[in-house]
Amino acid sequence: MASIPNPYLPQIGTVVKVIQETSNIKSLQVVLNDQERMNSFRFEPGQVAQLSVFGVGEATFVINSPPTRTEHLQFSVMRAGEVTARIHQLKEGDPIGVRGPLGNWFPYEEMKGKDILFIGGGIGMAPLRTLLLFMLDNRSDYGKITLLYGARTPDDLCYKEELQQWGQRDDMELILTVDREFPGWEKKVGLVPNVLRELAPSPKDKVAITCGPPIMIRFTLQALAELGFGDEQVVTTLERRMKCGVGLCGRCNIGTKYVCADGPVFTLAQLKELPPEL
Amino acid sequence: MEILDKLKEDIRGELEGVSLVIGWERGYDSLHTTPLFIRCPEDIDRLIWNPLCVHNLASYLPWFKGRRVGILVKGCDSRTVIQLLQERLIQREEVVIFGIPCQGVVDLAKIRARVDCSQVRGVSFKGDKIAIETPQGQRELPLEEILATKCISCQYPTPLIYDHLAGEAISSHRPPGLLFAEVEKIEKLDPKERFAYWQQELQRCIRCYACRNACPLCVCQDFCAADARDPHWLSQKTGIGEKFMWQILHAIHLAGRCTDCGECERACPMDIPIQRIRKKINKEIKELFGYEAGVNLEVTPPLYTFQVEEPAIKEREW
Amino acid sequence: MVTPEVRFLAAEKIPTLLKRLGERYRVFAPVKVSETTVLFQEYREGVQIVLDRQTTAPAKEIIFPQTERLLSYTYRKDPEDPQKIELQVEEAPQSAPRTIIFGARPCDARGFRVFDSVFTAGPYEDPYYSSRRQQTTIVTIFCTQPQNTCFCTSVGTGPTDTEGSDLVLTPITEGYLAEAITEKGKELLQDEAFVSAQERVEEAQRAKEGIKLESELDLEGIPQRLMELFSTDFWERVSAKCISCGACTYLCPTCYCFNITDEAAGLEGERVRTWDSCMFYQYTLEASGHNPRPTKAERYRNRVGHKFSYHPINYEGMIGCCGCGRCIKSCPVSLDIRQVLREAKAYG
Repeated sequence: MASIPNPYLPQIGTVVKVIQETSNIKSLQVVLNDQERMNSFRFEPGQVAQLSVFGVGEATFVINSPPTRTEHLQFSVMRAGEVTARIHQLKEGDPIGVRGPLGNWFPYEEMKGKDILFIGGGIGMAPLRTLLLFMLDNRSDYGKITLLYGARTPDDLCYKEELQQWGQRDDMELILTVDREFPGWEKKVGLVPNVLRELAPSPKDKVAITCGPPIMIRFTLQALAELGFGDEQVVTTLERRMKCGVGLCGRCNIGTKYVCADGPVFTLAQLKELPPEL
Repeated sequence: MEILDKLKEDIRGELEGVSLVIGWERGYDSLHTTPLFIRCPEDIDRLIWNPLCVHNLASYLPWFKGRRVGILVKGCDSRTVIQLLQERLIQREEVVIFGIPCQGVVDLAKIRARVDCSQVRGVSFKGDKIAIETPQGQRELPLEEILATKCISCQYPTPLIYDHLAGEAISSHRPPGLLFAEVEKIEKLDPKERFAYWQQELQRCIRCYACRNACPLCVCQDFCAADARDPHWLSQKTGIGEKFMWQILHAIHLAGRCTDCGECERACPMDIPIQRIRKKINKEIKELFGYEAGVNLEVTPPLYTFQVEEPAIKEREW
Repeated sequence: MVTPEVRFLAAEKIPTLLKRLGERYRVFAPVKVSETTVLFQEYREGVQIVLDRQTTAPAKEIIFPQTERLLSYTYRKDPEDPQKIELQVEEAPQSAPRTIIFGARPCDARGFRVFDSVFTAGPYEDPYYSSRRQQTTIVTIFCTQPQNTCFCTSVGTGPTDTEGSDLVLTPITEGYLAEAITEKGKELLQDEAFVSAQERVEEAQRAKEGIKLESELDLEGIPQRLMELFSTDFWERVSAKCISCGACTYLCPTCYCFNITDEAAGLEGERVRTWDSCMFYQYTLEASGHNPRPTKAERYRNRVGHKFSYHPINYEGMIGCCGCGRCIKSCPVSLDIRQVLREAKAYG
């Protein structure tokens, strides 16, 4: 009997670099041990993978390195449950399981020629990072690119080195904000949705992509609606507890849709079609 | 006045002051009853009372913490209410207790063992017999033979706590010596036989946790050690070892708390006699601490307190 | 040689048939395991086979075991450099032995059709389920005596439905009329226990026609109706008596939800797939502590919604329920899903 591709079987990889992003977020750069598989690993911006620490389990993370940069796969992991706590203990050279790519991706084809507004909060910057870098690597396909990124404190901002680089680029605009005043902080102060209102971007020919904590998303969607963004112009990603990652184990459904297989990327218009069970 | 009429009258009088009253109504056929949540006067008409009212409704009480609710209790069920009060899992002023003096309820598994119940057409009670009508004809069974095991040794037919009592209090005519009869039978087996016995029985456990969720004293519910992720106390596998482990875990957590209502075993879809495991612990608790759960509101359950020298535990002689 | 597709099987021949088949297949049959429980077990001589009633648990476990290893792993420390850890992962084999389920019911077979729609149709195929399913021959007995809890005819199947079965048996005097539905079924008919059916065909026809099912549900429009009720207090009301255990889901022939956990023992261990239940709080509990289905009302809504709304919407109208009634019969509080669906139609 012919063997069926096993969707539950992870590839074995090695952690090649660990970056302490914030007090509770680390980024791991991973390469697959099988060089051929690493070379042929194809994914789209926004797709996720299941990381395994054997003996503890799996958890889902977006591949936040862009498909245009293939020397490693990067994942950013906030310490929350038993799997993420164990991932935080991994060091360079440690083995790790990778199962993916899984799920859908940002509709970047449909965004071509448009202005792009990224709105991120905290760890929610991870999925935005992959798309932002992908767009910067295909810069001529897109119009004006703006990133509004906020966190509770300056220390809670991820990708600090890159933020510095992005801030210096003249082909994108970067607005950083933190929730309250901090000594030495010279950028904006205020919650992301409020800063967004203050910036008041025009929705004309623009797509807004937002990721962050649920409460931030809620108020950001409200602010975008006030600014006149249509539901088709707003894109976000959902999170759910996942196990199989391929739409079989049942738990991540919202009505008829499985966040793992039909998502994690949804337009606001698609979200509004789903029953309210977030 | 009939018990049912008295219950209805009492409920009517209290309904306005409570969110709901929990009783029983007819279930999907005439052999099965199901819990009834009375929210309005019209619901009262659906209430029934007979030996098929098997559920210990006190299991629902902790769900309603913070709301005042009414509840119908048999003698055995009242022990659960007392134990819940002792453990401060519910508040006395939040429950209105409608007590029912009870002559015993059936064990549906015992009926199923004797009659094909898949097509029951009618059930009636004739004196000390239950008559079950099926397409194959009518079967009469003496109630005494199909009563729940807890009823055969029942010491508390009249509720030990109530606000209203439906009918006259009755006293037990059951020999207390029978209380641990099944446990004593198993104790007589040598360890190998005993292990084989439980292996045979627990083999068919499916870890559905009906026993846990039906247990009125199993109050961790959503945060049970059996499916905890971190620490991952118990493997999620379903080998015989895990099944033993789960059942023992449950019984141990009920030490000095189990009121012997039998909901665990009644709820078990595989008809595993798991109440015996809890009963064994109850027996040990009785021997060690002279304690019986849920019979005295004023007493602190033995494992809720600590004495340097427990009179029945001769630690120094070990 | 042309295999006849209709044969007679004498009831008294069944033990020897199963024994003979056991030489070439793993053979499962309904076995009395306690006074009141009948379960599918691997056939051994001397067990008491019970074919005149529905089994306590469905045949699901045979193709979709409650616990199944997906992989094994071992960590090894390098003796030269204890900081260096080597990991070995071994995939659980996909091969499945040839298996017969003897004495299934049409609802069991229908249950596997629901599984097929999810596990074999893609885009991701479950290799373990698929290989076992391919290797299994299902011998189904028609139901001549539907129970009070049965409602198979309301969900698109019925007591004489052949869908999903390889060989079907109609109970007649002193035996069964056997009809092959698939090639796998024909293969079994070659056993010498099956003899010429002669004039028994008509008797079987009469037996089939005599079957009556009382419970009829009107499910017209129910997928949309359940969606309309999504945000109402309907679910809190109907789930009030539910105790949130997993009896209904674990005994359901169509419930396929599963968990994946790592079970470690020192430096080695297994990743296993085990049945899970949407009725459990932990099922959707996120690491952050957030739970999109925090109470039994949301969980029960999902169970009913999945079977009668989401599954039919996603799979061309196929209801994710086979009407076996075990969720009613085995529910500790006799929560009746038929009643819930009736009330859903009438609510508000």
